[in-house]
Amino acid sequence: MKGRPILGTLAVLGYIIMIVPILFVVSTAFTAGDALTFPPQGVSLRWFGEALAYQPFVGALLSSLQLAVVSTALALLLGVPVTLAIQRGKIPGKSLVEGLFLSPLVVPELVVGLALYQQIMIGLHQTSFVALLVGHTVLLLPYAVRVTGASLALADPAVEEAARGLGASPLRTFFSVTLPLLRPGIFSAGLLSFVTSFNNVPLSLLLQSRQFRTLPVTMLDYVQQSYDPMIAAMSTLILAGTVVIAIVAEKTLGFAKIFGGINK
Amino acid sequence: MTSAAEFTGVTQAYGDTVAVDNLNLQIEEGKLTTLLGPSGCGKTTTLRMLAGYITPSAGTITINGADATRLPPEKRNLGMVFQSYALFPHLTVADNVGFGLKLRKVPATKRRELVMANLDLVGLAHLADRKPKALSGGQQQRVALARAIAISPSLLLLDEPLSNLDARLRVQMRSEIRRIQGETGLTVVLVTHDQEEALEMSDTMVVMRAGKVMQTGAPATVFTTPANRFVADFLGYENFLTQSDGSLLTVRPEHLRVTAAGVEPATTGLTVSAVVRESVYRGVDHIVTMTAADASGTPITLVSTTRRDTLTADAGFQPGDLVTAQARDHEIVRLTSDN
Repeated sequence: MKGRPILGTLAVLGYIIMIVPILFVVSTAFTAGDALTFPPQGVSLRWFGEALAYQPFVGALLSSLQLAVVSTALALLLGVPVTLAIQRGKIPGKSLVEGLFLSPLVVPELVVGLALYQQIMIGLHQTSFVALLVGHTVLLLPYAVRVTGASLALADPAVEEAARGLGASPLRTFFSVTLPLLRPGIFSAGLLSFVTSFNNVPLSLLLQSRQFRTLPVTMLDYVQQSYDPMIAAMSTLILAGTVVIAIVAEKTLGFAKIFGGINK
Repeated sequence: MTSAAEFTGVTQAYGDTVAVDNLNLQIEEGKLTTLLGPSGCGKTTTLRMLAGYITPSAGTITINGADATRLPPEKRNLGMVFQSYALFPHLTVADNVGFGLKLRKVPATKRRELVMANLDLVGLAHLADRKPKALSGGQQQRVALARAIAISPSLLLLDEPLSNLDARLRVQMRSEIRRIQGETGLTVVLVTHDQEEALEMSDTMVVMRAGKVMQTGAPATVFTTPANRFVADFLGYENFLTQSDGSLLTVRPEHLRVTAAGVEPATTGLTVSAVVRESVYRGVDHIVTMTAADASGTPITLVSTTRRDTLTADAGFQPGDLVTAQARDHEIVRLTSDN
């Protein structure tokens, strides 16, 4: 940053704006006192214990994980073949198909949520888990298509042609060459999808039910009733989980490689 | 001659663009045939049709006498080396070379033996357990070659295999490929835009332009008797002179000698008066660019790069000098057609 004082100052300011609020939350989570205040009074793990013993949080955490895992798997199962069809296939109106699968990025989630509420929960009498699963899968599809698409676009088509020339059928080529080439892309798409589903509020809020409620919705609900350090402790636990995922991603693939694809 | 492959009336059109136009071509067995031409001449499309990656719009392709026009690539048993090498990045060198053998259900021990033999052929047996990423461009190219040869293909297809290598390595690989072809007796089809490469490596060269074959023949034949102006131009001929009868002569720049005006002309051959436009010193020779007029009085440009008898820093000629450009009879090539 030498010789670029303005850029350096802005970067530092940016980090401060992003990190300081998080530090407030994390530090208050370790308080020994009863109030969500800063600076925290003493240090203890008491609120972590309380958060993990609080049944609504634990139940909601399991629901969120369940929903995130299944919707990520569904989004990948649908998204990867779509990506292949868009990039390698000879289908008419490719850009239309691509646009269709990326459209959830621009349609307001509240509209999607309301539509699913009307059709699936009211119309078809399905549970809110089914409605949420459909909603989240649709929400995650653009990420699956874009991120795997970016990694497929970087792969040399001649590699697949070489496999064909050496005697591999199209199916064999897919499993022994294309899929291994796409593995990093699929992995990062999965990671991104998981985090997106786990953090989602609008859809999860609209499609919740007494039986099935995700963690962010439950926490939102809790904050409206009571304001104590347990919410900070729960947030800190989620943060820790995210950091672990980020470290795994960085160790296996490198962050730039994973998230580079989306910015293009 | 026996044909390893044959194109009959093959056309490949994408919409309005005709990449290959009614191609008739025989690939002689056990020989190295090059498809030579500038980009867009249809040489790569021709090779990809032979490999099965593109289906012709019309015509038939036979391989070893059997119709292969619509056969998918995996059923052709051809070895292809791509310009980008196209190695499988997730497999080791040995697994790359063994890929085709595994598909052919060759048992593991026999496979390992064949893989090592083929890596030996390209001098890379010691790198068998590396991943392609750990190899230099030249080494990757050799692995691609070993992988293509390992399946004992009926033809070996090389798509601009040397164009990504540096100049020194490229020249080395030319003789390397020739050696491997000699040792294996394979029929090879090589696509290149490099005339030097084609001349040096081919048994037969096929010069293409805009989807059509311009000339086919042994390198020495094509080089000394180019069929038309395009082929001559592509092979480095310059100095095209239209004669009073409408025929066309050409002389290579290294055969056109330049002397100061008034010096006794050669007894037979070509003698043209010219004015020097530029003279550039290049060490072994000078490039002298001149303006002259042909039989019809149209201004033409002549280029000479004849070696000087002695090494001298003297620029030779100055712009504006009046000179005589000469070539002997056997240095003059008469072109039969002007397309």
